[in-house]
Amino acid sequence: MKIAAHDAVKARKARKPEAVILFNVSNQLFAIAADSVQEIRSTDSLGAALEIEQQEIPKVRHTIERGHRTYYVVNACTHFGLRVVRPTLVLMLRQIRVAVLVDKIERMAELSGLHALPRAFVGTERQWYRGLACLDDQVIPVVSPMGFLTSQEFERLDGAAAEASRHNLERAVQI
Amino acid sequence: MSGTDTENARSYVLIQIGDRRFALPASEVSELAPPVRLHQFPHNSPLVSGIIVRRGRLVPVYDICSLLTGKGSPTHQFYLVAVRHFGSACEPAAIPVNGDSELVTADTVQVTSPAYVSNRLMHGGESIEVLNLDRLVAFESREAELNS
Repeated sequence: MKIAAHDAVKARKARKPEAVILFNVSNQLFAIAADSVQEIRSTDSLGAALEIEQQEIPKVRHTIERGHRTYYVVNACTHFGLRVVRPTLVLMLRQIRVAVLVDKIERMAELSGLHALPRAFVGTERQWYRGLACLDDQVIPVVSPMGFLTSQEFERLDGAAAEASRHNLERAVQI
Repeated sequence: MSGTDTENARSYVLIQIGDRRFALPASEVSELAPPVRLHQFPHNSPLVSGIIVRRGRLVPVYDICSLLTGKGSPTHQFYLVAVRHFGSACEPAAIPVNGDSELVTADTVQVTSPAYVSNRLMHGGESIEVLNLDRLVAFESREAELNS
């Protein structure tokens, strides 16, 4: 009988170690590939964040402009359904217009392998995580940068952001 | 119905979940694991309470106590590691149990209800339901889907 043999094999396959950032959200530890994070900033330094008026995607309340691109700020507590705490840091992701609010960075680490998420997991976590890592006797979910917002959510947010900027422009013209 | 030497007799592992005993076919059980650490992280899969690590493998834990007994899980001490089938593939699945497990050989009678019970066996004058783990989890997942 093959009991999830492929999972074990996948994790054992010799791979180049992957650098990850371990971060904390509401006392839960997560990992994210270091090369998918462009910048880590304090939330205090994000004075230029703009509020976005939309109710459909409650995990996004603000946008940040960086290099002529609009980043949507995702509250990781809300995204993962965790108790909402005041975030102190923001991870600006590299290949996607998402900035993630987190509590703190634990440390950097190297992963020698990634376990596939067991088939028992059937919910949205399949989009949230690339897999699971075993590090220092801990099982840590490795988040997928693409899992923070779906393409439909991007479309809705882009629509809301365009509406907000049109509104602001009209208000500026009136003044 | 009870007996150990009839041609229909098969081996079953008897487990204690809450205050009730259930059985699983021994062929579907791989081990009784000691009380190891339960690793938890955010997800929204029904019944799954976390992951344990056994022999380098990640084993999802299904907390079926409240479903089967109507009561919350007691502080469980052991994990029975069985097999869940996903089409042609399989995956280990752990169930929290209190450690009083027993291997018995018994005849069974088929039952049709509830859906997650495949058979019933008699042991020590007690009628014990033989669980079908795949159906049990699928049943709960469907219920959760309907409720959501």
